[in-house]
Amino acid sequence: MNINDPLPPQIPPQAPPVIPPATPRTQNALGDDPAERQPISNFLAAVECVLRHPRRVMFQLRQPGAGKLIGALLFVSIVCSLVYGAVVGSFSGGVQWWAAPVKISGGLLISALICLPSLYIFASLSGAQVRLAELFGLVAGLLTLMTVLLVGFAPVAWIFSQSTNSVAWMGFLHLAFWFISTAFGLRFLSVGFSHAQAKSNAGFNVWVIIFMLVMVQMTTALRPLIGTSDSFLPKTKQFFVAHWGECMDQASKGNGANRD
Amino acid sequence: MPAKPILRRPSEIPPLLRGEAERIAGWTAQWQWHRLALHLSLIVVGAGAYGAAMGWWRDPQQALFVAIKFPLIILLTTLGNALLNALLAPLLGLNIPFRQSFSAVVVSFAIVAAILGAFSPLIAFMTWNAPPLVAGAGANPAYNFILLGHVAVIALAGVTGNVRLFQLLVKLGGGQRVALRVLGAWLAGNLFLGSQLAWILRPFIGSPALPVAFIRSDAWHGNFYETVFHTLQTIFH
Repeated sequence: MNINDPLPPQIPPQAPPVIPPATPRTQNALGDDPAERQPISNFLAAVECVLRHPRRVMFQLRQPGAGKLIGALLFVSIVCSLVYGAVVGSFSGGVQWWAAPVKISGGLLISALICLPSLYIFASLSGAQVRLAELFGLVAGLLTLMTVLLVGFAPVAWIFSQSTNSVAWMGFLHLAFWFISTAFGLRFLSVGFSHAQAKSNAGFNVWVIIFMLVMVQMTTALRPLIGTSDSFLPKTKQFFVAHWGECMDQASKGNGANRD
Repeated sequence: MPAKPILRRPSEIPPLLRGEAERIAGWTAQWQWHRLALHLSLIVVGAGAYGAAMGWWRDPQQALFVAIKFPLIILLTTLGNALLNALLAPLLGLNIPFRQSFSAVVVSFAIVAAILGAFSPLIAFMTWNAPPLVAGAGANPAYNFILLGHVAVIALAGVTGNVRLFQLLVKLGGGQRVALRVLGAWLAGNLFLGSQLAWILRPFIGSPALPVAFIRSDAWHGNFYETVFHTLQTIFH
């Protein structure tokens, strides 16, 4: 181009930039991503999805034939709770090698089954569009995530169970691990519940408190889980707060510092 | 392609220490045994050398024991928490596979061990210059000075290793907030288990009033946190 050229260079007309319409940031519907539509084939894939792609589990739980997935989730929960139960039982050994896994596995399942109807009622009262089977699947997912995490904690729990004689200390440690695992499990359930179009989460939050209390009470109802006893189940009924208080008293007096 | 022997890979150590996050992230993405072996060797040699320098003050045999125990704590902590760390990463927003989370932790410990190893001659020199360890050494200024030296070096190595791990986690796709969450969870777990393992595998410096031993006869009695709790009870009552 000649710099003395009086005509300015022609600039091709450009289309105005397309500005996408402002849309509110809403949650994508389950199944919008094609990856979420892929079926979950086996229990290992179920664990992988609960950990990394929870939305895929939630979508699959809404599909016909979700029973197989729920079965896989429950199977993983039972196996993992048995494994963690064995670690809990290793503290006292003897009968507890099998009693603690059976109690922990059974206790978790019974707690979930006891609380499931109330979850359905709270969900319905909140206006959520959700079936009982789907809620059952979400609770199975909660148990799966919780027990898989407990297995992750198992090596640490085992090290401590071999290096202390204090029932109170081990009880505190297992409760801490249970609390962390349950928090992640409840987060999974909460995300699943958020897709049910409930008008309010108040009912769900109340249910979470109920579920936690039931599980904690189950540890007292099925005692001893860590120490030893001459009977499989307790002979006296007790509220968990009273039981913990007794354990702490014994520990402070030095009586809790043994495996009996 | 045949695997390259470990000793042909020393050029990978400087980028590790510089914390070249992009390069290290690439390493963790591919599971390569020779690289894992290099990092494990760094842990064994670096932490072992530091352990030897630490134990030498009490007795040469104690130096040998601590040279074994120091890397052992790191390796057992890594293995003991491997599954938990791999489970926590995706739950806290960093979707990386098991192997990658394991490699990331091993890399951070390798950095820690490299720093410890580099400081081991200094610690050995300090120990060599110190008067012999005798009973009732708690009131000895040399004893306190050496203890302080250990705290400073281990803190430096620990902080550096975790800063490098943080940078790596950011690079692995977490972003700063997610990386901080994952680092916090991993750190808490590793400190929790590592403290107890160190408690079981005591002594390290070694009391002159007690015989030299690999572990104490009461190693499995009580735990670190119970002892801290009872100590606090004693102080406040």
